[in-house]
Amino acid sequence: MSSEPRFDELIHAPTRLSLVSLLAATDWADFRFLRDSLEMSDSALSKQLTTLEEAGYAEIRKAFIGKRSRTSVKLSPRGHEAFAGHVAALQQIVARSGLAVLPDQV
Amino acid sequence: MEIPPVDAELALAEMRARREQVVDTNLVPSWFWVAVSVLMLGFVAGIETRIGWVIAVATLVYTLGLGAVILALVRKARVQVRQTLIGTRGILTILGFAAALVAVGIGLGFAFEALAVPFPATLAILPVAAGLVLGGPRLMAHLRKLMLSRPLAGSR
Repeated sequence: MSSEPRFDELIHAPTRLSLVSLLAATDWADFRFLRDSLEMSDSALSKQLTTLEEAGYAEIRKAFIGKRSRTSVKLSPRGHEAFAGHVAALQQIVARSGLAVLPDQV
Repeated sequence: MEIPPVDAELALAEMRARREQVVDTNLVPSWFWVAVSVLMLGFVAGIETRIGWVIAVATLVYTLGLGAVILALVRKARVQVRQTLIGTRGILTILGFAAALVAVGIGLGFAFEALAVPFPATLAILPVAAGLVLGGPRLMAHLRKLMLSRPLAGSR
């Protein structure tokens, strides 16, 4: 699937870039996995997830397994689309400069 | 907004690194293959003794053991890798691996039985167990390579 290059400032913010990159490779991810992978506090991660959710990029689900609650996060179709557009935009910038180190097609 | 090409390349590198992190987290660990092989061997050997209480113990150990192994794997799962990263090729590879082991096990089992070799199923399961222990991690390495070769973003 080729996407229209579209630089997305919401995604490009350093922490969110890592967060969305993790989510883009998953069908769903556990909150704790994201927190540990990004070495963030619960509140900082919640804040970033809320931003993504408000933009319609992420879906957050809470479920109970026994007495323990489990929060899972997935990138919404809109989020995947935005990520694909952002990857294409970054690749375009790199390609124009002739800097490409590792070619990757969207 | 236009950013410097170096920053764009760094961002792409970060995306690739994060995908690698997800893929590595999702791979079945080596201990799984060893555990399944040992359980399988014990079960088949137990059945072939044809001694009632041994069969009962072997069945119990196998059932509980397999359940515990699967439960440990599921409890450890904190992320589900995107299905499209595995793709049809990955699924066919997994099915091919399983089919090859089943074919070897059944084929050898019947062959040993026809030759009147004692404990044919146990002997036949030995190469299958070896195949799991040696082939499982190789299968994971192959799937890892396959998943990391996919485009960063694509069809869902």
